[in-house]
Amino acid sequence: MKTLLIFLALICLLVSCESTNYAPPPVTSQMAIVGARQHVRQGTNPSDWRIDLVTLRKGRALFASRCIECHTLPAVTQHSAAQWPGLIDEMADRANLKPAERKAVLAYILAARQM
Amino acid sequence: MSQSQSDWKRFPKQDETGPKCRAGVILPGRSWNASVVMGKFVWSILFLSILPAVSCFSGARHFTYVYETTTSAPGSVELENWVTWRRTTDPGRFDQVDFRHEFEFGITDKFQVSIYVADWFYARDQDRSGFTYSDSAVELIYNLSNPVIDPIGLSIYQEFRGGDRLFEWESKLIAQKNFGPLILAYNATLEAVWEGEGLVERSGELQQALGASYEISPRISVGIELLHEFLFPDWRDQEKIRNVFVGPNISYRRSSWFVTATALAQATETEGEPDFQLRTIFGFGF
Repeated sequence: MKTLLIFLALICLLVSCESTNYAPPPVTSQMAIVGARQHVRQGTNPSDWRIDLVTLRKGRALFASRCIECHTLPAVTQHSAAQWPGLIDEMADRANLKPAERKAVLAYILAARQM
Repeated sequence: MSQSQSDWKRFPKQDETGPKCRAGVILPGRSWNASVVMGKFVWSILFLSILPAVSCFSGARHFTYVYETTTSAPGSVELENWVTWRRTTDPGRFDQVDFRHEFEFGITDKFQVSIYVADWFYARDQDRSGFTYSDSAVELIYNLSNPVIDPIGLSIYQEFRGGDRLFEWESKLIAQKNFGPLILAYNATLEAVWEGEGLVERSGELQQALGASYEISPRISVGIELLHEFLFPDWRDQEKIRNVFVGPNISYRRSSWFVTATALAQATETEGEPDFQLRTIFGFGF
């Protein structure tokens, strides 16, 4: 019982101090605008990617759940915007991501790292 | 029961979270003839289970005794092969190697089902040795919250196990929190076992398991696992047995497979319990 209490106290301490630093940024309406602008700059058609809040929220949820099946979650700023598409393509099969899910994850990451 | 049969009964049987929850028994009449047949059978299973490794993908475990809250992606199928070696020296030296072949199916984003096709073991002491089939099981895990974006990740676990003169019910609460490269996990397990002729022999177990794993590179994690368990023979609190096991673990993953190993030493001095145990899980996905 003592071990349990110590462990729970440690968890509470760590959660209160650190958890927000490691969670991927929450989706905001500003993020959707930034994401759409980025696609315009890159010459891709935003209508093909549906850069809306629903897509970004889905992308964030998939990013936070599928990726941690194998490894801890990297920060969205850990890799460049040019590196992320290749990384996601490389791991999409392993994470069992369908094409639309793959796009949602990438849209979220690219938008979040601009914030 | 003869003396030799009762000797077997003191040795542990495989459990996925604890080193010993009840006795493992080579049943009368099937100890040696059956072991030869079982030997061929289990080696065939082992060979077939390793074969798909060439072309498969999977998620990875950071622990071998502690469960994590994450569930498999919907539509995914994974095969995991478990090997657990235990050595007991008090009273008398005894070695047992447990094997498990588990298929894991992702059903939804939050729900997975696993089938333990066959749990079997090889046991050896000074007088004899042999293989024995133990049981098969179904495991269900439902994820309630995410360990990264929620304050704490939670999953609930239920397992039903059946074998020759054996039925087991196991419930578990799994908690996990990820702090960047650090994963902390906690399991609280309650288990009830009915075994023997007419399933009249009862026992229970209450267990806590703690794990910490640090990702030192995208492919390698190292950590520690701790098990704290109470065994209740015949569900009697007065006769409970307390065990504590602790030891390091390491996990290595590639694009098509992973392997995780944990070595645990007994921190208590409980007679008849393993002094040392080593568990390895090889995983492949389809």
